[in-house]
Amino acid sequence: MAAIQDDLSMNLEAGGVAPDVRPDTPVKDPVQWMKENLFSSVGNALLTGVFVAVLGGLLWWFVGLVFKDSNDWDAVATNIRLLFSFNYPAEQYIRVWFSLGMLLGAVSLTAAFFDINPSMSVRKLGINASGLGATSLIVGVLPATPSGARIVFLIIGALFLAAGVGTLQAVDEPHKKFVSFPTMLLTFGLSVVAFAWLVPIGRNEFANGAVIDEGGFANPSTKIPWTIMMAILVGVYFLARAVKPMLPVKPVQTFLITFWVAGPAFLIFLVLRDPTFDYDRVLKVDIPWAIGFAVVGGAILYWLTKPMLGEIGRLVAVALLGVAVLNWVAAFFGWWSMLQKTRVSFLVLALFALAAPTFAGEKSARVRYVGAWVAVVALGHWLITGINTTSTLDIAAPPFLGGFTISLVIFYYVMLVSFPLGAIMALARTSTLPIFRVMATVYIEFIRGIPLITVLFFFSSMVSLFLPNGMDLSELAAIFIGYTLFSAAYVAENIRGGLQSVRRGQFEASDALGLTTSQRTIFVVLPQALRVSIPNLVGQAIATFKETSLIFIVGAFDFLRVANVSIASQPDYLGQNLVGLLFVSAVYWVFAYSMSRASRSLETKLGVGSR
Amino acid sequence: MTATLKRRLALLAVLSLFAAACSSGDDATDNADTDSTEASDDGDSGDSGDDGDSGDSGDSDDSGDTVDLAQGGSVLETVKARGTLNCGVSGAAVAFSFTQADGSVTGIDADYCRAVAAAVLGDANAVNFVALTAAERFTAVAAGDVDLLMRNSTWTQSRDTDVGMDFGPTTYYDGQQLMGRASDGFSGSSAVSEIDGAVVCTNAGTTTETNIAELAGTLGINITLNTFEDFNIVTENFIAGSCDIITTDGSALVGRKAEQQPEGEEWVIFPATPISKEPLGPVYGQNDSIWADVVNWTVYATIIADEYGVGKADVDAALAGDAPEMVRLLGGEGELQTAMGLPADAFYQVISQMGNYSEMFEANLGPVGLVREGSANAGWQDGGLIYAPPAR
Repeated sequence: MAAIQDDLSMNLEAGGVAPDVRPDTPVKDPVQWMKENLFSSVGNALLTGVFVAVLGGLLWWFVGLVFKDSNDWDAVATNIRLLFSFNYPAEQYIRVWFSLGMLLGAVSLTAAFFDINPSMSVRKLGINASGLGATSLIVGVLPATPSGARIVFLIIGALFLAAGVGTLQAVDEPHKKFVSFPTMLLTFGLSVVAFAWLVPIGRNEFANGAVIDEGGFANPSTKIPWTIMMAILVGVYFLARAVKPMLPVKPVQTFLITFWVAGPAFLIFLVLRDPTFDYDRVLKVDIPWAIGFAVVGGAILYWLTKPMLGEIGRLVAVALLGVAVLNWVAAFFGWWSMLQKTRVSFLVLALFALAAPTFAGEKSARVRYVGAWVAVVALGHWLITGINTTSTLDIAAPPFLGGFTISLVIFYYVMLVSFPLGAIMALARTSTLPIFRVMATVYIEFIRGIPLITVLFFFSSMVSLFLPNGMDLSELAAIFIGYTLFSAAYVAENIRGGLQSVRRGQFEASDALGLTTSQRTIFVVLPQALRVSIPNLVGQAIATFKETSLIFIVGAFDFLRVANVSIASQPDYLGQNLVGLLFVSAVYWVFAYSMSRASRSLETKLGVGSR
Repeated sequence: MTATLKRRLALLAVLSLFAAACSSGDDATDNADTDSTEASDDGDSGDSGDDGDSGDSGDSDDSGDTVDLAQGGSVLETVKARGTLNCGVSGAAVAFSFTQADGSVTGIDADYCRAVAAAVLGDANAVNFVALTAAERFTAVAAGDVDLLMRNSTWTQSRDTDVGMDFGPTTYYDGQQLMGRASDGFSGSSAVSEIDGAVVCTNAGTTTETNIAELAGTLGINITLNTFEDFNIVTENFIAGSCDIITTDGSALVGRKAEQQPEGEEWVIFPATPISKEPLGPVYGQNDSIWADVVNWTVYATIIADEYGVGKADVDAALAGDAPEMVRLLGGEGELQTAMGLPADAFYQVISQMGNYSEMFEANLGPVGLVREGSANAGWQDGGLIYAPPAR
């Protein structure tokens, strides 16, 4: 009883709109702040001194590392292309820019249509700028800094410090004034463009003596494409804001979510890979099959989602699963032949059929379920056909992606797929049905008991031994499948932690309202569980991102391996891996830190920890 | 009643879908639905004119796309049908196969891949380079993932007899040596016994580690052996002074000395006779002598051309020239090449596109300071080991 009352009062609190009645925190001047926080007692002053010394020492060591005499930063500058897109052919770079442009456009659209506009208070901006300026000044006076760079650091430091302090002094009540998101976006775009035009990256000679051409549109040149990219990023945002009142927001949002799920696959397999479709075959074989599956499968599913269908539905679903499994067994023994995608489609249909009773309900719900099936068939068949068609690209090594691109792509897809997979596994592990519970537990504990390298190696080298004769798993697919299965186990445990924090009363209340199990899970339990799991999930995402460097074990050239091995084995830059490693860590840090910042603002928005 | 009817109808629908799927099976294109990249492996659009019709659905769809040895075919046929050569390389071995800033693979191993492609397909660029780690290279050959492995792999008895692969003629005779500082009293003529008490560094888990440890045991000297994950770190430790001696294959040491020796320091490589034999050359699948002949004779062709001094520039002159062996080799007369399943001008293509052995050596190993003269890699007339059987 007490628990239920607790929950009720909590819900009331959460539901009601509470005006912010907290008093303003008085803003202290820096000297006073330092007195109170750093030098409040002799002990404290001593601690402060020690930590300043340690931090200064670390910075000294780091600056020494960066400006080491033997460092040849040309190694990074010359190999920027290799680092980011590895051996993607230069004359096809327009595809890379097109993909990047679409992604940036989507980012802007998403920000505009989902009202994502993080802003920063002027006070914070001023403090950040002064901090940056002070750090730059310190680096400038450190003895490890070479004299050429010293002046640059001192000038930049002085400018930033002056700007930061000046802003804080000039603006009244700086903690109440905010820099808007459009301003920040515009500043970012302009800075990137200025950087592209002023800093000479991409002008270095290749080892074989060729020079990267700086003119032209589709060249691997940096200036003009980056200018266009930033124009897209900023322009699309302002355009979207302008047309937003004239457009229905919901459909655009749905479209954007679809893009984020399916768009990257389209960009990778159909734009970056550029398959040469055999249209005759597409018309005669591929499209009829897709339509066949969509229609017949849709009809079966529509029937299966009928409420009160009972035992028959389950039998049909199991029969479908039997057929689907039989197809794979048959492929293994070569009993009969079949398009690979029909095998896949049968399996997916069986899974849809098994899940059908959970989605039984009104006509509209059933139609929506069938719609989901049709969408899956369309997308699946389209991608499988695209992936299986020969690429027009003349790329030397098998994974046509490499460098930072492969790290980013693997990370994106692993997280995209392992998240729902992990959620299902977490639900299965907390399920009351022993079979699901045991299966999920065994899977999770098994995966968590073996290292990622083993999983990757197994999928890359061993799985092809178990596949039917002639069937093969590409490097990229092997990495993706292995990594996803690995990551899903960890995601499942993170979500299970969240599930356990949902109180018993929530389940009881849902049952009392007459919600079905799926409704209870989807609308009541999962949202609360996921909210609690955000910090852990983001931690897992960051770990996944950084651990993509382990894919080197199966021969892929990821970001880290290019810097550490490829560059260091070019005769011109033999042994120059320190600069590459510093560069790679800087890029990784920017991405990992952005992720953790994004998660923090999401937590604030959802009120994790404050209620 | 209706429930039973519906159940039967549903089952019927499932069965009909399934039956339809079976009958119109077969195609090479869909074999590997997840295969995103190795499109060439499927040999699809190229030879899959037999689309999705039920014509040949009798046999398994999964066997049609690669002619493997179990069916009696040679890799030569597979490569010709595919139109590209899958060649396994390191991708990160200085002067042997490394990745340039523009993404191209360079080095003498890579050039031999190109030479074989030029011989079989007439196009030196029809190579699909597969970067392999040391751990997976032999599995890749045995499994047929690569047609040819040129990944500075040492030819040893156990490798030759154990796993499913054979070795071709050696293209580079390497050997483990040591590198020390002249200031420590070492010179090019130092003996290994002089390193008593030194800190010796090398890569972890390689044969170089075993070799030096065994040798120290045999000579009865005391050394401290420090191992590191990769040779960049080994070299850094040598530069920083925490290693007195570093050891690995001589070719790598020469490169390191040329590129990383600091001003005012003198690094020396010794002993003159390497402490181990490391013959490096092509590796291919076991029991496929047709393919083995193609690879071996491509290597021999570059060596014979070198013996005659015929390079990229004067190959046309040699074809019309008066040295009968060269004319036969370049396809001017006889059927030496056509008899082994290659075009008559196969080796003409090799020499005109890739050059002879010397040219490949100079272009790739020259820049890191390796020379043929006086080494095991000199021609047999000059006291080296590079030798080819006659072309007749």
